[in-house]
Amino acid sequence: MKKTWSKWSVIIAGVIVGLVAVGLGHYGNPGNMQLCIACFIRDTTGGLGLQTAGPQYIRPELIGILLGAFIISIVRKEHAPKGGSSPLTRFILGVCVMVGALIFLGCPLRMVLRIAGGDLNAVVGLIGFVGGILTGIVFLNKGFSLKRNYDQPAIEGVAFPAINVLLLILLVAAPAFIFFSEKGPGAMKAPILISLAGGLIVGAVAQRSRLCFVSGTRDAVLFKDFGMLLCYAAICVVVLVANLISGKFKLGFAEQPIAHTEWLWNILGLYLVGFGSTLLGGCPMRQMILAGSGNSDSAITVLGFVAGAAISHNFGLASSAAGTTANGRVAFVICVAVVFIIAFCNTKKSSSAKGAAA
Amino acid sequence: MEYLVTFHTHYGAMQFNKLCKAERIAAKLMPVPRELSANCGICVRFTAEVAPKPSEHEDMEYCYAVDERGGYTKKED
Repeated sequence: MKKTWSKWSVIIAGVIVGLVAVGLGHYGNPGNMQLCIACFIRDTTGGLGLQTAGPQYIRPELIGILLGAFIISIVRKEHAPKGGSSPLTRFILGVCVMVGALIFLGCPLRMVLRIAGGDLNAVVGLIGFVGGILTGIVFLNKGFSLKRNYDQPAIEGVAFPAINVLLLILLVAAPAFIFFSEKGPGAMKAPILISLAGGLIVGAVAQRSRLCFVSGTRDAVLFKDFGMLLCYAAICVVVLVANLISGKFKLGFAEQPIAHTEWLWNILGLYLVGFGSTLLGGCPMRQMILAGSGNSDSAITVLGFVAGAAISHNFGLASSAAGTTANGRVAFVICVAVVFIIAFCNTKKSSSAKGAAA
Repeated sequence: MEYLVTFHTHYGAMQFNKLCKAERIAAKLMPVPRELSANCGICVRFTAEVAPKPSEHEDMEYCYAVDERGGYTKKED
């Protein structure tokens, strides 16, 4: 078998994702939020009426990412229905990751897009994100495991893509029970077809390149393999250049689009995201890609994100441009405690080596 | 012969790597090559005389023989 995946292919993947983000921003998506898994899941949760306090719009980008990964994994014969690896624990971790993301205001992908827009709050948040991943790695090295997954019936692998097709139908048909924000970030959107196409491209590229904001950092720390970090850098550079050309680049902390300046909470929010995602084995975007590729554990995790988004807005945990909330700070403490409990309870001491290696 | 073994879990790879170390087999933990898997787990690459059987090791998925040109051939259990 020929070695086909070089560093260049990962960089090209980053450039493509960056260009899609620039395009989506140009066509109307919110500032420094051209593409964000956490925010867009929150918007979709609102569109379905599961939260009524935040933005509401079924984001076609997410449907595209999911279906893009689904289609390319089928075409490349990599689609595999798998599941059964601690699903409820993954759901809970998904909730915690989303609470963290909505305290910071963005997933790791949006963190990179915010940095490319000159938002220094995201640079501060990056410290927390890396800290969270390092904490997760400590547990991985100590023997953390959510146990293996198993082959599942075909329907288990197509159920989530089917749900996304249904979401697309609901979005286009727009029946009265589907919500659409009339102002704010939920009302800032690229046309449906452009959003969907952008999502399909990102989904396919991310499936092929295994783009993940957590495993890339893990590989850099554990194996000194910096390939995926080049992918993040490529996304950042492409969007940065586009922002400089279009005049959208604004360096500083204050008055950044859909961001707050509470540095400690920017760090802590992304710490929770990094820690939880490392235990889950992938960032929110990666969970979407795996869910599209047939992994029902990742689909459950995404449903955890949905629940987390609903909880965050209905209970007033999510931050806004005005800053964090008292409820959000309490929720952070609870969520971090929960993630640590999950980490400790699933870490077993290495059993003595059994049998010969060869 | 050089082999590369993939795992269902990160934990399985770590355990097998420890086992290799305990038996003084030169082994290396690394990300799974893209051409072998769409998943982003870790694998162990090592040199041994006999291929390990995936069914005999916790969470081991597949064992591949690595040829001189870097190609992989899946070994049957």
